[in-house]
Amino acid sequence: MRPLWWTQILAVIRLEMKKTFFARRGLWIYLLALAPVALFLAHSLVEIHLRGVRHEMATQSRPITEQDLAAIHEGMTREEVIARLGDPPASRITMRRMPTGPHGFELIPGEVLRYSDGSTELTVVLEKGAVVGTGTTSGSSLGQDTHIFAGVFQFFFIRLAIFFGCLGIFMNLFRGEMLDKSLHFYLLTPVRREILLAGKYLAGLLAATVIFTVSTALQLTAMLLQFDTATISHYLYQEHGISQIVAYLGVTVLACIGYGSIFLAAGLLFRNPIFPAVLVLIWEAANPLLPSLLKKFSVIYYLKSLCPVEIPVDPGMPPLLALLVSNAEPVSAYIAVFGLIALSVAVLAASMTRVRQLEINYTAD
Amino acid sequence: MSNTIVFDNVSKFYGDVLGVNRVNLSIPPGITSLVGPNGSGKTTLMNLMTGLIRPSRGQIRILDMTPDQPEQLFRTVGYCSQFDSFPKGLTGYQFIYSYLLLFGYDPPLANELAWQAIDRVGLREAAHRKCGSYSKGMRQRIRLAQSLAHNPRVLILDEPLNGLDPLVRAETIALFRSFAKQGCHVLLSSHVLHEVDIISDQVILLSGGYVVAEGNIQGVRSEIEDHPMQILIRCDRPSVLASRLFGEDNVVEVRIHDDRRGLLVKTSNPNRFYLLMNRIALDGISIESVAPIDDDVNSVYGYLIGTEEAVR
Repeated sequence: MRPLWWTQILAVIRLEMKKTFFARRGLWIYLLALAPVALFLAHSLVEIHLRGVRHEMATQSRPITEQDLAAIHEGMTREEVIARLGDPPASRITMRRMPTGPHGFELIPGEVLRYSDGSTELTVVLEKGAVVGTGTTSGSSLGQDTHIFAGVFQFFFIRLAIFFGCLGIFMNLFRGEMLDKSLHFYLLTPVRREILLAGKYLAGLLAATVIFTVSTALQLTAMLLQFDTATISHYLYQEHGISQIVAYLGVTVLACIGYGSIFLAAGLLFRNPIFPAVLVLIWEAANPLLPSLLKKFSVIYYLKSLCPVEIPVDPGMPPLLALLVSNAEPVSAYIAVFGLIALSVAVLAASMTRVRQLEINYTAD
Repeated sequence: MSNTIVFDNVSKFYGDVLGVNRVNLSIPPGITSLVGPNGSGKTTLMNLMTGLIRPSRGQIRILDMTPDQPEQLFRTVGYCSQFDSFPKGLTGYQFIYSYLLLFGYDPPLANELAWQAIDRVGLREAAHRKCGSYSKGMRQRIRLAQSLAHNPRVLILDEPLNGLDPLVRAETIALFRSFAKQGCHVLLSSHVLHEVDIISDQVILLSGGYVVAEGNIQGVRSEIEDHPMQILIRCDRPSVLASRLFGEDNVVEVRIHDDRRGLLVKTSNPNRFYLLMNRIALDGISIESVAPIDDDVNSVYGYLIGTEEAVR
């Protein structure tokens, strides 16, 4: 037989499910969660299309290699290029505006000859019938894409999508019902307020976790969509792909646990969600600048240590951005998981004290 | 175990604003009405009893339980507040059933109790419609059903008859009476004073956050000494009776009724006056009826608080 407190928690979750998953005012949370999926899907579809174009070009003429392209020099005529490389399978006429004075400009006619070796596009740029440059364009590699994914995950998905998504879900658990004047129905049942808080938190966590882990899984699927089976197998089994995927899903769940607890507490303390959102956002963004002790009172501090792929710091990167990207004081995975859960439990314990003192005064709220 | 609801020197302040002040009450089972104009403290007392707000001072005990023990209190207490709102998207049935699950009832029992409550307020046909689509009267009834679905021994109802049509109003009053007959507490607030007269076993009169009187309404009336009681006497010879009454020292005023078939008498001592009427009846004047006309809640409230507030 189930203990009473667990039955009551399940009953609270049952009541909250519809509100957390299907509320009309929560539609933007789905959009936020699906935005990076759309980004990676669009990227993959474009790459698949370009790969098809390159392959088709290679079949339409002699496959041209980078060594062939190296033989092309500036100043060569179109005829000389075609004599060496053959007729291009594709070309594009261009027209460049070149300024000739403060108010005038000259139109420079040009042409881009496009060749391919099947995987790389090689281009010869001509202006006024003479070569002015050459170039190559390769499709993105899985290595590059995992770094792009890491950047999107850390800077958009965790810091914005999950952050604001949890704000929308968890702040509404109490504050939304105060605005709807329906919270008193809960408080007039034989449920301890701590149990009510736990039930509402778990309901919010379930919704946030499902929405955002599904989003993470879809983002990873969309990212891998453009690669062939052999490349994917190599990534999964030879390059720790599986552990990276598990780590991303785990970080997503932990982000929901951490931000969920903070915004549940904020919903009990603040009437207007903007104030706590700005406050926490600034606190999280300023984490790299904080003293070592204060860093530990931040969700992003632990999450950064758990992200499986480090974002490469470009030497030309502005110092402030480089500071945000780098993780100066990483902690071990065990400490990060334990620290984040301990932080969340502490915030929830403080919320329980608040909810015990909660009074219903809808007119003031 | 005590069978009363006790307020022990309870005060509630909303910042600088007084909610209720120094309330001392001991409410026995039966139907008790809280009477007073808007802002007199009726809802504050009910919210204090159910722990929705906390007293600034004093203690409240409901059948020996305190409002900060919800896990015990709300197995005994049901509260139908006056907030006309519902959790979004629920039908009438889902509204009652879902909150019954919070009591720890298993689903079949919760289902049975939900339908019992829905039947009590006569909403079976509309039970699967969303609460948001209900009329004001239906919303009032479904909230009433939700508050009594777990068969509480203490039913607290804030303006429960608001928005009900006369037939449903009568049925609802009968429901309250059946609860009271079973030895339950039914505590309701109302500003419709004639209704309170009909329903209540006892009244608590409130004004400006203070309890100004409590108890049986006739008992309260008899304690108001600075307003002589008004009595209407129906008789066949009103002028003869009037001359007979003028000599009595407890009779303050005698007027012949406009229809000339009775007398309006003001007396400072109703008990002595009723004894006098017995003697007069024996002397041969035919008296049809003797009835006080100002021992209702409206008059009592007017005497205690002032006519303007009583009108509300």
